[in-house]
Amino acid sequence: MQLKPKATQPKSENARRRLIAASCALLGATAARSQQTNAAPADSGLLEDWSVDTALAYYHEDGRIMAIEPLVSLAKVFADGQAVNLNATFDSLSGSSPNGALTSHVAQTFASPSGKAKHAYTTAPGELPVDPHYQDTRIAVGGNWTVPLTRLDEVSVGAKLSDEHDFFSATVNASIAHDFNEKNTTVSFGINNEYDSLSPIGGAPVPGSDYALFEKTGGKTKNGVGALIGVTQVMTRNWLSEFNISVDRFKGYLNDPYKITSIIDGAGNTTGYEYESRPDQRTRRSAYWENRVAWNRQASTALSLRYMSDDWGVRSETAQLHVRWSFSHRDRYIEPTLRWYRQTAADFYTPFILNTVNPGGGYESADARLGPFHALTYGVKYAQKLPGLGGRADSEFSVRVEYYQQTFDERMAAPAALAGLDLYPGLKAFLVQVGWRF
Amino acid sequence: MTSRQMRFLFILGGAAIASGCASLGVKPWQRDVLARQEMQLNGDPLDAAIDDHLYFSKEASSGGRTFAGGGCGCN
Repeated sequence: MQLKPKATQPKSENARRRLIAASCALLGATAARSQQTNAAPADSGLLEDWSVDTALAYYHEDGRIMAIEPLVSLAKVFADGQAVNLNATFDSLSGSSPNGALTSHVAQTFASPSGKAKHAYTTAPGELPVDPHYQDTRIAVGGNWTVPLTRLDEVSVGAKLSDEHDFFSATVNASIAHDFNEKNTTVSFGINNEYDSLSPIGGAPVPGSDYALFEKTGGKTKNGVGALIGVTQVMTRNWLSEFNISVDRFKGYLNDPYKITSIIDGAGNTTGYEYESRPDQRTRRSAYWENRVAWNRQASTALSLRYMSDDWGVRSETAQLHVRWSFSHRDRYIEPTLRWYRQTAADFYTPFILNTVNPGGGYESADARLGPFHALTYGVKYAQKLPGLGGRADSEFSVRVEYYQQTFDERMAAPAALAGLDLYPGLKAFLVQVGWRF
Repeated sequence: MTSRQMRFLFILGGAAIASGCASLGVKPWQRDVLARQEMQLNGDPLDAAIDDHLYFSKEASSGGRTFAGGGCGCN
């Protein structure tokens, strides 16, 4: 092969080309970062180029459940713009779970869900009835794959599997997103399909049946479909806004198989219990609006508002604020959080059934999660950048604590004999989480 | 905040986004601040996943930011 000397180009032409190349590189890098900043650097096939996000959470309710939950998430963007996310979660729960029955002035004895005599338990007078043998483990794995179709369109598909000893769930979702207005506006549409299989300990109770008769059948299922349409808009150089509308519909066995309702007489004595009975379908609609604003180099806020309603009569409002303060070198930040939540009760919610009346037209549940309450969460997170591993520039260690408190808003008139009992104990819980991202 | 006020806020927000899309936004070289981690809509996905799971299992609402449900037998 004969090598020929390169033709010499004029100096001004060289400089012009270098400038164009530098501009293109700058714009390309900026655009890529704006679309996906959590991902590993593109154009690499090495495993160490995956970005790894890990967390370990400890959750503890006052006198009830405790849970330990490790999570890991892997993400990578490939050179052609495709992105993959894989994640896994493990939950270990134990402690005492409220069974729905009303606090009483006398001791109450309950059979375990399995019906085994050795697991029967007795609740002391004045105490909230809880099943003290609650124990569960859950493992969940999920994945998401995003493929660019054109420069402005991308599709994403995902799946999730979650398994517990008495519950299995499989979910698939797909979405499409389109950018326009110089990629300042993104419109997306997604659908979701969930299949759940329940195999409660001892079987699934016949809804509304007498607790003493132990009428239980085998496993049950429920299915849900959902759709979400969203708009993301770059408002200014420092302000990003997202607005979503979503609807979902679940059908099937929607009861909590371990929840019962106390039946009391006019004198306040508990005369029996029955298994809860919820409708076999539910449609929820929600609107969600999130705004992220960087006020300056140090301070930024994320404010989200959500309104939700369903055909069970539940209406809820949620407001959550994160305020992040990055220290001068942006190598660490502190982020206080405040969340306020309020919901109205489901139409068939009742903390007890008077034996002369069956409210709700046959449906009834004493599950406090369907009751009228408000909740506050206070939290703070601290994160610190650390030297990276392998070829990575850095890693991030974080610790987060949250305190959550539910308070009942409305109390149903109860027989005078129940005075002095805390029929609506609410809930207090805290969460501690450590995270490491590299 | 009442439900009515909340709905008003949503309508206002939706209208602002819908009507202003064409005139809002930045040029590609003005995305420096938007590229920061704290400006990403799901910049802390594991925090969000843990919170979603907590609230899903203790409240009657879920979803909004993303799909509802939760793949857990806790509700």
